[in-house]
Amino acid sequence: MSSGHHELLVVTVNHETVPMEERERYSLDEIQVEALYKALHDNSIIEESLILNTCNRFELYFKTNEARNGRSVVYETLSSFYGIPLVELEAHAKTRGGQDAIKHLIEVSAGLRSQITGEAEIFGQVKNAYSKCQQLGGAGALINRMVQKGFQAAKLIRHSTPIGQGQINISNVAVDLSLKIFGSLDRVSALVIGTGEISEKTAKALRSRGTHNFGIASHSLERAESVAQEWGGTPHAVGELDSYLNGYDILISSTNVEEPLLTKPLLERLHPARKNRPLFLVDLGLPRNVESACQDLDNVYLYNLDDLAKIAQDNLSDRQATIHTSEKIASQKSDAIWQMLEKRGLVSSQ
Amino acid sequence: MSLFGLADREWIFLATVVFTVTTILGSYSTLKLHRKAGRPYTLSLVSFGWILQTIGLYERGLQYGGCPLANRFELVQFLVWSAIALYIFVGPAFRVSLLGMFTSGFASILSILSLGFDSWDSPSREPIFGLSPWIEMHAALALFSYGVFGILALTSSMYLLQSRSLKQKKMGGLFPYMPSIFELTHINLRLLVLGFCILSSSLAIGSVYWTQDIESVNTLKLGATIAVWLAYGVLLFLRNRETLSYKQYSWACIIIFTIALFSLDAVDSSSTPVAGAASISISSTHL
Repeated sequence: MSSGHHELLVVTVNHETVPMEERERYSLDEIQVEALYKALHDNSIIEESLILNTCNRFELYFKTNEARNGRSVVYETLSSFYGIPLVELEAHAKTRGGQDAIKHLIEVSAGLRSQITGEAEIFGQVKNAYSKCQQLGGAGALINRMVQKGFQAAKLIRHSTPIGQGQINISNVAVDLSLKIFGSLDRVSALVIGTGEISEKTAKALRSRGTHNFGIASHSLERAESVAQEWGGTPHAVGELDSYLNGYDILISSTNVEEPLLTKPLLERLHPARKNRPLFLVDLGLPRNVESACQDLDNVYLYNLDDLAKIAQDNLSDRQATIHTSEKIASQKSDAIWQMLEKRGLVSSQ
Repeated sequence: MSLFGLADREWIFLATVVFTVTTILGSYSTLKLHRKAGRPYTLSLVSFGWILQTIGLYERGLQYGGCPLANRFELVQFLVWSAIALYIFVGPAFRVSLLGMFTSGFASILSILSLGFDSWDSPSREPIFGLSPWIEMHAALALFSYGVFGILALTSSMYLLQSRSLKQKKMGGLFPYMPSIFELTHINLRLLVLGFCILSSSLAIGSVYWTQDIESVNTLKLGATIAVWLAYGVLLFLRNRETLSYKQYSWACIIIFTIALFSLDAVDSSSTPVAGAASISISSTHL
């Protein structure tokens, strides 16, 4: 690390520096965060500080007026706060200084450093951390400027590159495809066959995007009724599928069957009454619940587990492919922010 | 004759350049930079091109003392002008992503063709509508409905592209930036109704004059116009009865529009200046 002459530093413990078992030791609850701020404030050489504490990362951005001792004082404070020997802490944590610290903040906020590249949640977490830092008096002129400008740069990265585009988990991929078919999901009805974990997640994701009308089908009506009570929706027996399928626009199926539940002849019979209403079939079952020939029908869109997984994987690859461009923007922006901080006399020259 | 130092075809040439640039920028931004072709900048560029085209057509119209619809070049330009006008004034209500890029592409292709073939602009710089502004209205409305059907052909192509991507599970290219197929089917219906109503109004006006002087319209023009009107009428009927699948309906919209474009030849062939038109032009200039 190049800490020597820097007044701005960041100490980070994250998935890139240590495995999960070690990261767990750095996790803090709200009260502990407050306590750590207090411990830091007790050191007169720490002028400003910002703690970012998520399930996957602990980071401490700080401004010190003693460039030489600042780093060791912070490490000692953290070592005693966590009860982790200093040698061990130094092995777990990585320190960046000056412009690199700003670049790191931008990259973290934009999701470039997240375990799931491009995930959006981290931006909100950094915002919350900043808000907490302001409440507890950790932020001064340097942290305020750095974070506000860093947020702008992170937003620029997210808007000008595909880093956050495309869903990367199967349930959200299915919801995105529903949106491409139906536009809005407010008036869409979804039928869930089988009560597996992915079905439940997909149903939840659909509900969060506006779907209200759900049907829950199971091999036994009792089971369907019990799940429908828990998830919300109309219970059905799978055996009578042809009597109610036309009432739905999306079918999510993940039940154990030896023969496909939904066949092309069955759909062909039901199709005229749908009057061109699209039908989105999400087959999450193994063996498959929907005959692949159903895809041949007009207005029927069939996706199985492999299709959804492939889309998720492709989206992730697209995100990773854009990391280089995003890092370049982060570098340019951190350079500009650093110069601005120097001009204002908030940091000393590198 | 020139306005602000440029002749009518030069204004239209500039408009074509703007439409082409909009298409290229929109495609580059979407396919290479993976950004949504921003509606504001597409709308601004297309509007700018449309203003240039309007100046060119206005300048041409001043030479007739009426709507410039006297040869194939002018018919195509007026059709393009109508389609762009629809995109600018009604398009934002549709909220269809990439419609601006598709519309500017459509305008570029037709404009380049009409500028490329000199024979399309065979001069007939005389008024063709005689004394009645209603006949002019009839022609302008008919051409405007073709503009609407042009946009309908574009949204139908978008539907087919989007539906094909969903069927074949190809999520690249334009797919992430296009509207949902449900929205496209609704817009297609609204455009068909709008275009059919405008064309029907145009034919209703024309029929009043035709019944007074049956010889004034040649059989080819009459046949072609009625065939196009009937084709869209039947399509609307089938669409309302849900007899056709959306895929068949979209293909039908594209095919009928292509045929309708060729039917403009029949319209053009009948556009000989009316007797005494030259004197009308001269007198209107004096006024």
